[in-house]
Amino acid sequence: MRVVVDQDLCATTGQCVLTLPGAFRQREPDGVAEVCVATVPQALHAAVRLAASQCPVAAIRVIESDVGDDERASADPAPSPGEAELHAAKEQRNPGGHDGAV
Amino acid sequence: MQETTAACRDAFAELASPARTHDPYPFMRWLREHDPVHRAASGLFLLSRHADIYWALKATGDAFRAPAPGELARYFPRAATSRSLNLLASTIAMKDPPAHTRLRRLISRDFTMRQIENLRPSIARNVAARLDGMAPALERGEPVDLHREFALALPMLVLAELFGMPQDDMFGLAAVIDPILKGLGPHASDPQLAAADAASARVQAYFGDLIQRKRTDPRHDIVSMLVGAHDDDADTLSDAELISMLWGMLLGGFSTTAATIDHAVLAMLAYPEQRHWLQGDAVGVQAFVEEVLRRDSPVMFSTTMRIAQRDIELGGVVIPKNADVRVLIAAGNRDPDAFADPDRFDPARFYGTSPGMSTDGKIMLSFGHGIRFCVGAQLARVQLAESLPRIQARFPTLALAEPPTREPSEFLRTFRALPVRLRGQGG
Repeated sequence: MRVVVDQDLCATTGQCVLTLPGAFRQREPDGVAEVCVATVPQALHAAVRLAASQCPVAAIRVIESDVGDDERASADPAPSPGEAELHAAKEQRNPGGHDGAV
Repeated sequence: MQETTAACRDAFAELASPARTHDPYPFMRWLREHDPVHRAASGLFLLSRHADIYWALKATGDAFRAPAPGELARYFPRAATSRSLNLLASTIAMKDPPAHTRLRRLISRDFTMRQIENLRPSIARNVAARLDGMAPALERGEPVDLHREFALALPMLVLAELFGMPQDDMFGLAAVIDPILKGLGPHASDPQLAAADAASARVQAYFGDLIQRKRTDPRHDIVSMLVGAHDDDADTLSDAELISMLWGMLLGGFSTTAATIDHAVLAMLAYPEQRHWLQGDAVGVQAFVEEVLRRDSPVMFSTTMRIAQRDIELGGVVIPKNADVRVLIAAGNRDPDAFADPDRFDPARFYGTSPGMSTDGKIMLSFGHGIRFCVGAQLARVQLAESLPRIQARFPTLALAEPPTREPSEFLRTFRALPVRLRGQGG
């Protein structure tokens, strides 16, 4: 898994640093978030997805597929209980009917 | 809500009525259940469901824009002549990207998580000093106004340090904050607006002088830093912009923090069975703080204008293009669709979570969301986290001396006084 911050979009809230200081930090001159890990260790996958979902301006993008993840996914298609919980939480956060379009 | 019948003409007027000051939540609940996309008589819209508010906050800068400079007069006929409304219009809260982004990044340097963490020891010292100051009177059995002596004093001291201002200057400026806040409500009277303008003139003059002092004698503070940014970039950050930015931070910075400290102390006193959260580790303290913020948002609804960029349909109601949409954060935080049994004070909702998110993955709305997320959120959290366990440890027999007095306000839930005493001391 990799994670990127859209630095044009970043609103400098620091929320990702609060959620996961091991993966994100803020640039000194302007508070813009940056990623401080090249690839996300397995142990932080759930937390990184959480940070991405909680970012107030959705500036964090998680790139799930790398070779290791694909192999693991095909070998074990069922998400772990922790991940399933997280996906459920994510569904609740994005209720239907709020795209705001007419 | 028996007294509220089938329709409500103007929820803003209801929220401003003295009858709602003590407990506006039954009305908010009625509104959320019966008229969640409320159109007031004035044409303003008010959203009260968590999901709708969350969506609108995230869509700010996209589906919603800030008012154009010439447009303000349409919403505030007195804007042309009011100093306070003009200042409000020129703050970062009324700007869209890219101007918003540029200004936000100028101030963010002093509000990074690391910078706020660096302030923690000084905040802790200020907390201890203020509590020490209250102790003699309390121990003599006298009542002490915890709001004035602690809740309001702490953020003032913290802000004085951030701005590089003498503490006495900050205490002087703080006296004029309430009149300004009253002038910014949607139903402010002419005398209220005149009082706000006189107070704003004083703040402007003070900050004008402060900027000159920092220009000749820069120190390590936010004003010196912004003056530096200004001088490097003279075309785009005027003295007027700088002053309105400081004015905005002053207004946003401590009435809200003070009210949340007050609400936290009231929660400690009302729910002694929940005090254990403040006696353990930082995770428990954080859970208590987040629950206080959720249950009593100091900002009931935002004065920031969100102008619909297009017709927007929410819950079967069409909000027309160019309508001014406000979000009733305090109602969203008590929406049972987001927080089960929402009136209950239950820090467990936030135990071990990422700050601002419940164990169910719901966002606590008091700091907003989206591009206008409160720049001082973490500063407020650290002040609360450093205060509450110390209050609990220092004064375990703290009790109300009299019922607290609330500051009448259309959009804030703040206090005028919170008199406390120690149980078993002088009666």
